[in-house]
Amino acid sequence: MSSIRPIIAGNGLAIALTIVFVLPITAVLAYVATAPLDDLMVRFGVWLHETYSWNFSTFDTRERFAKIGFAIRSIVIAVGISFLYFWLTNWLNQGLARVSSKGSWGKESYIIEAIQPWIFVGPALVLLLLFLFIPAFSTLSLSFQEADGTRTVRNYAFIWDQSALGYVQFRYAMRNSLMWLVLVPTVCISLGLLIAVLADSVKWGIVAKTLIFVPMAISFVGAAVIWRNIFAGGGIQPQEAINGLTPSYQIGLLKAMLGHTAAYNEPLYSLKFWGNFFLMWILVWVQTGFAMVIFSAALRGVPEDTIEAAKIDGANPFQMFFRVKLPQIYSTVVVVWTTLVILVLKMFDIPYALSANDDDKLLLATMMENARNNWSVGGDNVENLFAAIAVMLMVTVIPNMIYNARRIRREQKELGH
Amino acid sequence: MTRTLKHVVLLLIVVIWVLPFIALVTTSLRSETASKTSGFWTAFTPTELGHRFGTHERGEIEPFVTMSGNIFERLNKDRETFEVEGDVKSILFKGRVPDPEREGKTKLIRQLIFAGEPMDVRGGEFVFQANGDFTWTFPEATAPRPKNLDAFINQDPVFGTDAYVEVLFENKNVPNALIASFIVTIPATIIPITIAAFAAYAFAWMRFPGRDWLFVIVVSLMVVPTQLAFLPVLQGFSGIASWATSLNAWMTDCETTRTCQVASKTFASLWVTHTAFGLPLAIYLLRNYIVGLPKELLESARIDGASHLQIFTRLIIPLSVPALASFSIFQFLWVWNDLIVALYIGPADSADLVFPIRLQKQLGTFKDQLHLLNASAVISIIVPVIVFLSMQRYFIRGLLAGSVKGG
Repeated sequence: MSSIRPIIAGNGLAIALTIVFVLPITAVLAYVATAPLDDLMVRFGVWLHETYSWNFSTFDTRERFAKIGFAIRSIVIAVGISFLYFWLTNWLNQGLARVSSKGSWGKESYIIEAIQPWIFVGPALVLLLLFLFIPAFSTLSLSFQEADGTRTVRNYAFIWDQSALGYVQFRYAMRNSLMWLVLVPTVCISLGLLIAVLADSVKWGIVAKTLIFVPMAISFVGAAVIWRNIFAGGGIQPQEAINGLTPSYQIGLLKAMLGHTAAYNEPLYSLKFWGNFFLMWILVWVQTGFAMVIFSAALRGVPEDTIEAAKIDGANPFQMFFRVKLPQIYSTVVVVWTTLVILVLKMFDIPYALSANDDDKLLLATMMENARNNWSVGGDNVENLFAAIAVMLMVTVIPNMIYNARRIRREQKELGH
Repeated sequence: MTRTLKHVVLLLIVVIWVLPFIALVTTSLRSETASKTSGFWTAFTPTELGHRFGTHERGEIEPFVTMSGNIFERLNKDRETFEVEGDVKSILFKGRVPDPEREGKTKLIRQLIFAGEPMDVRGGEFVFQANGDFTWTFPEATAPRPKNLDAFINQDPVFGTDAYVEVLFENKNVPNALIASFIVTIPATIIPITIAAFAAYAFAWMRFPGRDWLFVIVVSLMVVPTQLAFLPVLQGFSGIASWATSLNAWMTDCETTRTCQVASKTFASLWVTHTAFGLPLAIYLLRNYIVGLPKELLESARIDGASHLQIFTRLIIPLSVPALASFSIFQFLWVWNDLIVALYIGPADSADLVFPIRLQKQLGTFKDQLHLLNASAVISIIVPVIVFLSMQRYFIRGLLAGSVKGG
């Protein structure tokens, strides 16, 4: 069988090369060939525009329908290309194997079997390699470089050097990350457990759970806009002068409840230091549903006989929960906790949407964005600085990553593979 | 006692969770003035709000001694929606009155004049009633210029969909964002699921060297912060773009029209990036599902001489529909709601911004037009919420199967 190795390698190479050439060319040709469809789409749009006499300009309609046409073509082509890949490779693999095995059926199927798995995992592995694996290492390498490529640790100077760019920001980011890291998962998990227990014991629990779960579907920016109505303050003066003469125009519910007057219109999330907690609450609002659903399922999976036994021993509901049920879903709590920790460490959208340029509210991810936008005055190594902060972000995630990898190994063993 | 407590606590939590939605929808249905001058909770009861009205139109008046009119008629004459009704409480008087302290001088005062009290407007006596009727009396026939007055009206609740009409039809940004979001999301959901399904099948049922290790590495990539990849990925895309630009210059006559430049941050770069970032979770979820399919079924298909591709398309795909559905809803929500990847990798052209970026910008541009901001937010969340509620079962199944990926 040793002579079969070169054949496999040759066939594999042939398939890979064919794909590398055929797919992009097909894609480009498909785009060129289908370009007139955009025109049709535009005509359709203009027709609609005239039929329903839309009251914005025809130019907008043209532009929009051209884009929709482009989108539809793109979707069809992108999906078509990915199907073409699998069909073409399969066909090539079988054809090449038939030719190179010279009629030996056993040899032919052996060659097919050897190449087939790589065809299936190939696109996934290549994409992960190009978009996650290699970039992670090249970011690491960039972070230890000057802009001209010489080695340096200068980019990390914000950790120890008081005069370095980002020294203050880094301290704020670390302080805030720590607060987020402790508070958000704790509150989410406690509330999630509470809701799971309560909802499973009342009749309308399913409605309650759905309502609490819905924020999971919403973007963080959407959540920020939603909570702005509660946390923001002030309101614009309706006419030129109303100071003191009219009722309070406080528009944020919570601020109104706290008795803040319209003149005091700083949003609660902009408060020095305390503002962080309002930003955290938005994340809690989004993520509690996740904790709740997982715990609800886990609690239902607690073996009936342990509960029965506890009942016979005369456990009260609190003992039942803390001594009997909670220890049995402990591993689920840990899984939810790690998920939330990773989410918090990568948190970007909420502080970016509501307090983008406020050093006091920085997290590592927003600090990166700040570095990219505002630190360009600091020299030509902004990109390298950016990379250095990204590496810091990665460092905070590593313990979790190791834990997760171990858990998955264990899980795979249990699955018997 | 404890039973009541349970209901009360749960109800309280639900109210806290739902209240922001009520705030969102209510604000989006209010008028501009109402939304920026009073809290959403005042929308359901008569509330005192400020309105500016003009006494009459410029140049269409004959000299008169007494003019009478109605504040509500004046306010509502150009309105089709948000018609103002209620009681006029007061009018803000701004003007000069004789200064009691300094003889012969006047001083500027601002004072609220209540219904029935006279006030001096352009030298005439202006009196109004709570129902909006006003009279404006001069000592002799005059044709004064129109005067804008600020009235505070205890206004009846009124709702309208003007904000939606405005953001959807009069403003380009929201329709463009909606289209851009769909352009990004649909391929970025279909492509990874296709690629991941094949890979998951290979990881589950095919033998190849290094399979288990590769799988663990792939799954570990789930927690790698995407920020780590942005810079090199961007560099890669701009490399491709400059290569494509020179190819374009070489192959076409674009130099005459100066259209050779190929953008590096495009929808396509977003598709590929989202695909790559979504793959680890997809492979993990699908592989764990496919491994659980009955082994006998696959083995008998092999014995019957079916190829892997046939087994995959005829057996695995139909049997894995639940897992495919749960991943596709994950990916759909993740891509639709994504801000950071689109911000770094996605197109920067204003017409091509996806919804979360647009919404983030509108937090600034619409900060004085809260009805528009909230209407835009409602439009942006309605798609994912519909998808989510209609496929909730699959979403929960996916969550339970692989609660590892952070956001």
